[in-house]
Amino acid sequence: MHITTLTSKKFLVAVAIGLIIVILLATVPLYSPGYTVVLLSSILMYIVLTVSWVIFSGPTGYISLAPAAFFGVGVYTSALLGFVLPLPVVIGIGGLVSFCLALLVGALTLRLRGIYFVMFTFGLVELILNFVLWWEVNITGTTGRVVPTVNNTTVYYLMLITFGILLLTAYLIRRSRFGLALQSIGQNEDAAAHTGINVTALKTIAFAISAFFMGAAGAIMATRWTYIDPRIAFNPLLSFMPVLMAIFGGMGQLYGPIIGATIFTYLEEFLITRFPYYYMLIFGIIMVVAILYLPDGLVGLIQRLWKRISERKYAYT
Amino acid sequence: MKHKVLAGSFVLVAVAVFLVGVSATNSLAKDKIRIGQAIALSGPLAGGVAIAGGRIYVMWVEEVNKNGGIYVKEYGKKLPVELIRYDDKSDIGTMTKLLEKLILEDKVDFVFPPWGTAWLYAAAPVANKYGYILIGGPGGALKLKELSLPYFFQVLNFSETQAPALADIFKEVGVKSVAIIYRGDLHGVEYGEAMVPYFEKRGIEVKMKKSYPPGIKDLSPLLKEAKSLGVDAFCAASYPPGGMLLTGQAIELGINFNAFFITVTPFSPNLYRDTFGKDVVEGVMGGGAWNAKTSPGAKEFVDKFVARFGMEPDYWGGLYYWSSLQHFQQAIEQAGTLDQKKIRDIMAKKKFNTALGPFWYDKDRYFVNHPGEIGQWQKGVFEVIDPGKKRTAPPLYPKPAWPKK
Amino acid sequence: MIVTILDVVIAGLLMGGIYALVAVGLSLQYGVARVLNVAHGEFIMLGAFITWSLYTMAGINPLVSLIICGPTVFIIGFVLYRAVFTRLRTSSASPAAFEGNSMLACFGLLFIIQNVAILIWGADIKGYTFLAFPVNFWGAVFAANRLVTLVFALVIGAVFYLFLARTRLGKGIRAAAQDPGTAGLVGVNINQVLALCFGFGALMAGLGGTLISMSYKIQPTMGLEYTIIALIVIVLGGLGSIPGSFIGGFILGLVGSIVTYIEPGLALVAYYVIFILLLLARPTGILGK
Repeated sequence: MHITTLTSKKFLVAVAIGLIIVILLATVPLYSPGYTVVLLSSILMYIVLTVSWVIFSGPTGYISLAPAAFFGVGVYTSALLGFVLPLPVVIGIGGLVSFCLALLVGALTLRLRGIYFVMFTFGLVELILNFVLWWEVNITGTTGRVVPTVNNTTVYYLMLITFGILLLTAYLIRRSRFGLALQSIGQNEDAAAHTGINVTALKTIAFAISAFFMGAAGAIMATRWTYIDPRIAFNPLLSFMPVLMAIFGGMGQLYGPIIGATIFTYLEEFLITRFPYYYMLIFGIIMVVAILYLPDGLVGLIQRLWKRISERKYAYT
Repeated sequence: MKHKVLAGSFVLVAVAVFLVGVSATNSLAKDKIRIGQAIALSGPLAGGVAIAGGRIYVMWVEEVNKNGGIYVKEYGKKLPVELIRYDDKSDIGTMTKLLEKLILEDKVDFVFPPWGTAWLYAAAPVANKYGYILIGGPGGALKLKELSLPYFFQVLNFSETQAPALADIFKEVGVKSVAIIYRGDLHGVEYGEAMVPYFEKRGIEVKMKKSYPPGIKDLSPLLKEAKSLGVDAFCAASYPPGGMLLTGQAIELGINFNAFFITVTPFSPNLYRDTFGKDVVEGVMGGGAWNAKTSPGAKEFVDKFVARFGMEPDYWGGLYYWSSLQHFQQAIEQAGTLDQKKIRDIMAKKKFNTALGPFWYDKDRYFVNHPGEIGQWQKGVFEVIDPGKKRTAPPLYPKPAWPKK
Repeated sequence: MIVTILDVVIAGLLMGGIYALVAVGLSLQYGVARVLNVAHGEFIMLGAFITWSLYTMAGINPLVSLIICGPTVFIIGFVLYRAVFTRLRTSSASPAAFEGNSMLACFGLLFIIQNVAILIWGADIKGYTFLAFPVNFWGAVFAANRLVTLVFALVIGAVFYLFLARTRLGKGIRAAAQDPGTAGLVGVNINQVLALCFGFGALMAGLGGTLISMSYKIQPTMGLEYTIIALIVIVLGGLGSIPGSFIGGFILGLVGSIVTYIEPGLALVAYYVIFILLLLARPTGILGK
């Protein structure tokens, strides 16, 4: 009885905090237009990439370096269809194309594990990049494309909506039997297969769902870039960023990657603008120190702090 | 366990304090002109920034401040200039974001361009959207003309003037056939495509035309193929990594052509001439071009640059950017205000005298009075070899063979 | 025709030698020490820049620099492992967590090393000319410096292979690679061995950097490009296997050379097509277990 009231109280607090954050985020453009919206859009983009990366890689333990491929597919969708279709449709198509690509890749990579899976996904990014580059240069005779732009507030709201849908999806997956099955794959794939879980199908679907959101994010972000070429769209750095942000934040809880991506992006922007000639040095040191002292990411730290505080509270009562 | 939690929270608190603490505010009375620039200080483009263009902006700011600043009538005094530089990490998304930060949050008075064709392409619409003048620096392409952005000014010369000049030179010296290779990007495709019709119109046969992907590590098969076709001239539309690799491999393999032309790379005295040696690069042609003989102002600029940085400036854009900034400064002084619109209108119409001579923009806001189109290394000087009165030396043809070690 | 075939094959082998050289060190670092060292290319860059400085400022022959670069970079690698990764290995919850965490740490190192290099040498592209003359093989012509690189790559690979196979320390490293747990039981100081292993990986990268700087221009940001090549080669060849790295390197080199001859625009596409096809056919690399 005591426990249930405690959890329901905690749940209410969490919902209230969530609601306040949502309202705050939704109204930001009203009272703080200008650069805040631009910065928040970019933070949201990284959050979307990181959270969707965690949907697949978090529970299964497969480190995917394919985000840049799916993001880039979204970017190109935006460049190719942006002038003929309304933006929300383009975003949906961008997501769907990425989804299908991920289904195909997922079906192909069944046998690969560990580093071999990691490198396959990375090779995929480079393969698509170089193929699109060759295609554009030799077949269509161009290498760059202009993307129709929309105003910053629209980009922000689209990213926010995508984030909202993603968060809901991630939450539902975690609570569902699907999520549990993914967890068991991560713990022991062979054992999971023996208990009758269709390992292949589940992995592929999770991979495709995460790819959908990456593609959508790419389609939205492209409108901010105005001009793209294959090397910009399929920038390999975008494959590494979600991984780093997720590890930095910690993958145990849903809020881990969100906090990780937010702090990472903000910190980087801050250092770049204050210390343009030393920012990599400072950023690098922070990364090494953080990983040395926070092996479970920020989530681990928060949980430990929380535990200490609550222990102290109980000690006094 | 305990000390880890402590150390971890210490790091977090330190970072947080740091973030809040350094966030300074600067919105006092107008005592300086603040100019923002998001440019690659790290990542793959940083090398290009360092050899071509990046230093010119720094030097111009120092030069202006040495003279007390720019006189702005509206404030009744000379205002010194402050250059705020952010690192775009050679990433276009970061660049557009930082450019908007400069404009919207830092509220800088003016912006300077990023480095690289694609970057400029992305930056121009952003600056234009907020009514900020953007004077194109290193990079740019003809394609930008299609966007017709009223606040965007283009300074460099492109394939539309360089390709015909090269074809004329080839015809003059008697080149019969050429091989063209080009980098698979905006720059490469533009030049690779543009050269063909001009060559053909002058009866020069294009025997080979191939693209190569950026990042390729071996260009020797292309050199060997061109050699086996027996072409007179070898033309490459490439960026510094490819240009250096190509030259290095041609030397190592002892493959010689009567003419050897690379768009981007030979113009750099430090990177190109000094790495290979001035006897080795004798006769190599490149995009550009100008040198100390171009004008008295050019000579003065070279001397100043050498005194400041201990090396010569690049002989393609160096003088162009420098002169465009002098033009810009005079436009501000004439406008007597920092209002973008007024300055823009003056820039678009007025002709001012600069280091390279009279400087003005045409109706598309393209700078047209180029000091030269094609250069050639001759005895350590990047001579302008265009036909006509811009020529500072006649073309050297055939190019001497790479010296044997 | 025969000259053309010779041309293409030898060019492929020369490229392959460079790729193998770049990859061997990483194969050791990941195959044994389980550190997915994304800063591997930064060690190559360090080797290249030290060589460049010695050559342009003191006139020291790059082949002599091998003796200087190798140990210098080895010490850097060894110290870094002791300072960062030993600790990380014990604090990480699982081997999988260690892989993720060490990758993040390596990214930090990449940033730090690259920034320091830019501060020391500037961001400019640099280079020097060394052994830049043609060598003729039955009509096929090649650069002397690339041939020297290939020879040195083979020698370095062979020496290291023998070291792992024959010496006590080498056997310790191999034991650690197979089973870190029992290696500790049979009297191997596992932390020391892993640190040495990481150091040797760095050493190979440093030597690779020296040799690469003879044929390629260098800049502080060049590292990641070589790291990517190295990753592909070791995955192709099989982790932790020195002959595997050479086989992987030569395959990539030959494919690149053949495709460049036919359609240069597709050279890089071909690398990844081969990589992906081979991986699908043999999911643990050619010589992997």
